[in-house]
Order: sequence, then structure tokens, then C-alpha cells
Amino acid sequence: MNFSFLSPIFLIGLIAVSLPVIAHLISRKSGFQKRFPAVRFLLASQGEMATRSRLKDLILLLLRALIIVIIALLFAKPAIFSFSRADSSEPRTLAVVIDNSFSMGYGDNFNNAKEEAVRLIDSAPDGSFFTALPLVPERGEAISVIQNRASAKKDLKQIPLSQTFTDNERRLEQVYSALEKAPNQDKEVVLVTDFQKNGWKSEEFTRTWLRLIDISDAESPWNRAVTDVESRYTKESIKVKVKASNFSASEASELLTEAKLSGEEIKAYIDIAPGDFTTEEFIFPRAQKNEEPEASGSASIPEDELRIDDTRRFVLSRSGALNVLIVDGDPREDSRLSESYYLASAAETASELLRSRIRIKDNESFLDEDLSAYDLIFLTNVGEITPGKAAELEEYIERGGTTVIFSGDRVRAASYNALLKNILPGELGAPTQKDSTLISVKTDMFSEELFEKIGQTTVNRSFTLIPAQGAETVLKLSDETPFLSYFGYGEGNVFLFTSTADTSWGNFAITPVFAPVIKEFLDFESLSNTKRRNYVVGDKVRIDRLPSASSIAVKDPSGENLKIEPEQAVFEDTELTGIYKVLIDGDRAYEFSVNLDPLESNLEKLDVLSIESEPGSELGLVKVFKELWRYFLWGVIALFISESVARALFS
Amino acid sequence: MSNGILDIDTASRLKGFYFRTRSSVRGQKSGIHKSLYRGISPDFMEYKEYNKGDELKQVDWRLYGRHDRLYVKKYEDEVNLSWCILLDKSASMDYGDEGSNKLSFSKKLSATLAYLLLRQGDSVGLSCYSGLDSEIIPPRSGNSSIMPIVDKLENITPEGETALRKPLLEALEIYKSSATFVLVSDFLMEPQELRESLQLLRASKKDVTLFHVLHPDETEFGFEGSVEFLDMESDAKVIVDTASIRHTYIKRVREFIDELKNMCHEFECRYVFTRSDASVEEPLIEIADK
Repeated sequence: MNFSFLSPIFLIGLIAVSLPVIAHLISRKSGFQKRFPAVRFLLASQGEMATRSRLKDLILLLLRALIIVIIALLFAKPAIFSFSRADSSEPRTLAVVIDNSFSMGYGDNFNNAKEEAVRLIDSAPDGSFFTALPLVPERGEAISVIQNRASAKKDLKQIPLSQTFTDNERRLEQVYSALEKAPNQDKEVVLVTDFQKNGWKSEEFTRTWLRLIDISDAESPWNRAVTDVESRYTKESIKVKVKASNFSASEASELLTEAKLSGEEIKAYIDIAPGDFTTEEFIFPRAQKNEEPEASGSASIPEDELRIDDTRRFVLSRSGALNVLIVDGDPREDSRLSESYYLASAAETASELLRSRIRIKDNESFLDEDLSAYDLIFLTNVGEITPGKAAELEEYIERGGTTVIFSGDRVRAASYNALLKNILPGELGAPTQKDSTLISVKTDMFSEELFEKIGQTTVNRSFTLIPAQGAETVLKLSDETPFLSYFGYGEGNVFLFTSTADTSWGNFAITPVFAPVIKEFLDFESLSNTKRRNYVVGDKVRIDRLPSASSIAVKDPSGENLKIEPEQAVFEDTELTGIYKVLIDGDRAYEFSVNLDPLESNLEKLDVLSIESEPGSELGLVKVFKELWRYFLWGVIALFISESVARALFS
Repeated sequence: MSNGILDIDTASRLKGFYFRTRSSVRGQKSGIHKSLYRGISPDFMEYKEYNKGDELKQVDWRLYGRHDRLYVKKYEDEVNLSWCILLDKSASMDYGDEGSNKLSFSKKLSATLAYLLLRQGDSVGLSCYSGLDSEIIPPRSGNSSIMPIVDKLENITPEGETALRKPLLEALEIYKSSATFVLVSDFLMEPQELRESLQLLRASKKDVTLFHVLHPDETEFGFEGSVEFLDMESDAKVIVDTASIRHTYIKRVREFIDELKNMCHEFECRYVFTRSDASVEEPLIEIADK
């Protein structure tokens, strides 16, 4: 039997024992002075009391000092412990908790843990009750305590290795509280674990009812893992950045790292210092034609003892089907006369390459439309914008949406300036007649070839624009007035043409540059608006869908189809690693990946709870703590009462 | 006349009271005190058989009618008396704040008593004493005699220890005939010295009244915490935990008061205990007759 303190830091409180001694000494040395006539009686009284008073003072001093000592010891959590194999002869209720966090997949740890758990159940005295539980609970778990040993062992064997981890302390408290109604008085929770740090908030978590058994078979387990993958499109290529970490004390040299994407594979040798990581970038050429909007791939390193974290999957999104809204402010029965005719034609041509979904709405329908479903919005000669719609449009742009505004005779400058002043690239003035040609200012947005053709555009009427601070003029007219201006607002973008999208104010819509310019907008949005497609286990995934979607299902890596509510559109069953497929209205919409949380890859063990360095800590023996704080608490209460009684008696 | 020292209100309330000596005295003028000489007085004392030389007008003829023998009535004579007020002005008397200062209270008590005594026709003298000196005003009668007493009381400087023997001897030199001594003090002195003083007074056939004046702090010891007490008449000092010593101290003070009471009983002296925060009316009523 050994004595220990579970929170020895509080022993510093013992210094406070000097307080009553100091107070006692101070009280004997000073005090305020008073001239008094009857000092003779005081002297006589003191002489009589001197001995008794000294004894009384000493007793009170001792009691008070003892109270402080016991309080300090109480906070330091005194405990006695012993090493035992838990083979008490009394029947008890035993909860065997197997650590099934994915770090237990290291070597044979998980199987060893199950074997040790079986031994625990077998060695429990007759009349005992059992429950076998995983540390990382399964969804919808029900804890039941049974007396049947065989059934408990069967439950135990069915516990799967999880691909995540949990808050160990909360889970153990939950298991213990589930034992409350169990029949035997002696209740015990035994955790068979690898003592890996992750999942423990405190390294000093101890409970009288808890035993911890270290099952890890390696003194200092080492592990290497792919801990992150980032991928992105550029104009010519796809870049995949792989982060590989070395969680061991030795250097990983010439580690073969592979990145796979759409059937192509690139390999590289990397070196990683002990306890460090290396990031390697892999560049895949883009297939410019018939390129899928999304691509999935993986990054891996050679397998080690913990295989599950040696490969990481990823999905690269190029925004898939871009949702485009064209608002026609001046629709006509003859569509060729409509404001959006040329714009819609150009967008449809471009969408054949970009798989865009284009919807055309008139001004009135636009006011009722949910803008959040769109990636790109064109406003052509839109005359009526309500304050509510203006606020919605502002919020849409702030959250990352892109809006392209074409002017026209229905556009009222005062209304635009008042309602859209936060998002417009400048203040609109009155439309003026002119005879100008177009010149480019910001050439990096357009290709060289396009730039040469821009000069063919003539504009005979346009709004004047006083650029706002931070706005850029992309195209301007030969009279130096802006033709196309750009303004970044929040996470979104606003483009403003000072002229029309049809031919009423110029020939821009029928020049060879119109369609390529519109395609640039679609490309711009497509490149900048990549969707989140990569998650870790346990994440909630918000499904991208059109408001009209009536059914949504997600196919997990095991092939199971899981339906989710279209209204909610949130998928929570991300417990398996791998590629998940989203099916909207029965059609495959897109994919996303779920990977391990890299925290669990670091197999560093707990310091305090580890029994490796303790005497008598051979495998299988556990440190059993018995906390003594209750006795100290009663001691403090008793001392307080004694002090009060002594004070009352002596006064 | 100073209203500060002389409590005129109390004096007015005590208008119908008289302060009499316990024993008969040899007075010089007529007054309220019993004279050693029998004489013509409204107060009947006893009958005596007629002897030769007795005044015929003192014969009770009604009694003669019933008993057929001659008796003469004897009446008490009432005379005036000298009072000596001995006021302790030692340093220990200067304790307490305004309103409860022992010396202030004692001065007021002495002045008011002197005023009442002069008003009932007695002569009053004053001796303010301490271990260092004593200042004596010889006894005088008449209402105007209050002025020098009040002046003297107003100019007292508290100093020195409480020492009674020497001033007492000086006073006895002045008050050779019948007199009543009124001692106003806290009597924080050696009990033996007080005993000897009382013995001396009684041996001189003087009536004695003791006004024992103590401050509430001295009787109740209402201090808190640890206090260093410095004696007001000597260099003695002591640090005490007031809470722990209170009980024993109060017991000691009560024993001291009881000892004084017993001493007064032994020497047939009147003992009046009073707190310095009380009204002077209370102790005066204790020695007054209606």
C-alpha cells in the first residue's frame, strides 16, 4: 500500500500554516494602547490566568494550524494505491471499456485489448454483472448490464475499431453512471487502453471506481501519417499539396509518397525529421476538354504499424454545375428583342464547356427569387429593385456571390445609388450620348487575343460613373469613362457595365469579344468558387443542392445509401473514412471525402497515468487508487467543530 | 453660577429632600439634624417622670389626668451640621470621555450636594486631594458659600495617585466638632489605607458617606481584541487579550466593590456606588430623606 497525492500542487497551501502562528505572535506583540485606571485588576487577573491562557492559546493555535494543514492535504487529493490484478473475491459489477479509438489499430493492440478484457471477465467472481463497451460509442448505443459471462464476451468481440476518438473522461463518467442501478454494490470501470494522450483532457484523471490497463506492446510506438491534403485548380494544372508527419523519434528518410488523381499517379521521395512534417506538392496537368467538374484522388505513404492513417483521400471541386441567374429587365415576346438575348446565348455557349445551369427570370420574378441558390447573377437593365431585394443581394455578395450588372434605359441611377451604394463600384451619373470605342485597362483578366479585338466595340450611350474607393476599372471607353468596373465586397465580386447587354446603346453584344468576356465571368466564378469537399470523421456535411431538390441520399464508402431530409440537407454519419457520393433526385451530384483527424496519429503516451516506470508494474498489473479525501473532509469538519467548542469554552 | 458643574435641574428636583446625619450632633444653630441637647422642638421623643427643676410647661396634664402622676414630655432639638466633602482628584479620576468622565461626574456630584446642603442651612467645606497635594476650603454656611466651592471645583487639575490619609488628617484638624465626611472617589488605592482612614474617621465620631465612582469601562470591560493598557497613576502596563481576560477582570472588580461595601458596613459608613455616566440625582437620592 503506497501513499500519494493526486494533485500535489495544492501542497503549496501548507505554507498557509504559518498564518495562525504569525497572527498569534502579532497579537502578543502589539495591539493598540489605552490609558486605563484599573490596570491593577488586569495585572491581578492576568497573573491568575497566565498559565491557563497559555495552554488555551496553544490548543487553539494547534487546532487552527491543523485545520489549514488538513485543508491543504484535502485539496492535494490524498490517495493510497496498490498494484493489483483486480481479483477480488466479492461479486461486483464490472464495466469493461475497450479503447477502440483508431490509435488502437497500432500493431496488435486492439486484439490484445480484447483478450485482456476477456481475461478480466473470466476472472471476475461468480455473481458478478458485466457490460462490455467501446470507448468511442456507436450511434444509438444502449448500455445494458448482464450476468451472463459468455454474452458479455460476445459483445466484447463485436466491438469494432473506430476511425475517430472521443472525450474519454466524459465517456467513462457516462459508463459509471450507467452502472448506478446495477445490483452489486462494488462497481468498477476498467479501461483497456494504449494510454495515448489524445482524448484525455487531463493527464491526472483518476477515479476510485476506475482502473486503467495499459495494453500497448511497444514502449515508444512510432508512426508516420499523411495528415493533410490540399488540392486546387490553376488554369493549366491541378496542384495537390500533401503533408506527411513523422510521429517518431527517428528520421524518416526517402519516404515514398504517392499522389493519385483521376487515374494518374505521381511519386516522390521525401525526408521528415523526428516529430516534424514535410509538405510535398504534386502537379497534375489539366485536361482542358471534357474535364470533369470534380476529381477525386488520394495521397499515401508506405504502410506502417498503424495503417489506417497512411492514406488520405481527397475530392477536388471545380464548383460542378455552376448555377447562373440572368435577370432580364426588359423581356420581350420576341426573345431576340429581349435585353438578355445576347447574354443568354453567350452564357449557354460557354456553359456547354462549364456545365452551367442557366435560369432566366424577369424583373418581377427576380424579386421573389432565392439568390442563395446561385453562384453567378447577371442583372440586365433591371429597373425595379426593392430595398429588401437590395439587402438580400448585398448579403449574397458579402457571402461570396458574384453579380454582373448591365445598365440600360430602365436603370434609375438615383435608385441604384441609394439601394446598392455599398456594392456598386461607384456612383452612377446620368447616361450620356457619345461615340466611343472600347479600350482595355486591366489586361490580365482577358487574353492577348481578346484584348486585340476589344477595339472593335463602339459605344454610343453609357452612364457616367464616379469610381468608389477600392473599385477598379477593367475596361474603359476612349473618352476615358469607365465601361466595366470591378468592386470586391465581402467575399464576393461585383462587375458593372455602364452600357447595355443588347445593341441599343452600342455594338458590344454582337462583337466577337462579347461571348469570350461572358465566358471569362463564368470561368472566374468557377475557379474562385470551389466547394468544400473534404471533411474529417465526425464532421457535419452541409449538402449543396437546389431548393427544388426533392430527395437527397448519400452513399457511404461501405456502399450503404443513407437518405437525408431535403429541408435540412445536413449529413452527420461521417464515421467511416473514404469517398462519399451525394445523390440528388436520384442523380449523382458530387462527391466528398472523409478522413481521419490527424490528432490520433500521434501515439505519444500519457505521462502521469502510465504505470510503466512504477515498481511492480509488469503488464497486467494496474495501479488502483483509493482516494482519501472524504476522511480528510470529515477531519476538517471535526476540527472546525473542536475549534468552535474550544473557543466557546475558553472565552 | 456655573451650570456646567452645578446641576441646577437635579437640585430643583431634590427640593423637598433633606440630607441628615445618622447620629445626633452638637450644632451651633437651629437646623434639621438631631441635637444632642433635648429641647423644644416639634419632634416628640419620650416621656419622663417629673423631677424638681423641670419646666412646668412641659408637664403633660392629660397623662396626669389618666395616671395621676406627673410626666414631662421630652423633645429632640434640631441643629445645623458641618459637612466636609473630600473629592479625589488623582489621575485615575480623569478617565472617560465627555459625558462619562469620572472627575467631571464627581465634581458635579460634589457641587450639587454642596448647594443642597447649604440650602438646608448646613455649613459645607471642600477638600480636593491627591497623593501630591490637597486644597481645602473651610466649612461655611449661607447660600453664597457655594461660589468658592464651585470655583475650586472648576479649577481642579487631575494628577497624582489616590492617597487619602494625609488630606484626611488635615481635614480632621479643621472639623473638630461634629461633622459628616463625604468621600467622592474611585477608591483605586490600597484597601488597607482606606480601612485605616475609615477607622480614623469613626474614631473621631464622624459620620462618613462614600460615593464610589467608576466608569462603565471599569465595570464592564467592553474592549475588543488585544490591547496594551497603561496605568494612569503609575508606569505599570499590560498587554491583554480582552476577550479572554474579561470574565476574570469583572470578577475582580466585583470582589473589590464587595470589599468596600463590607468595610463600610463594618465601620457603619454609608456606601453609594455610582457609574460615571449616570445622573447625579440617583446617588444623591440614596442618601436623602423626604
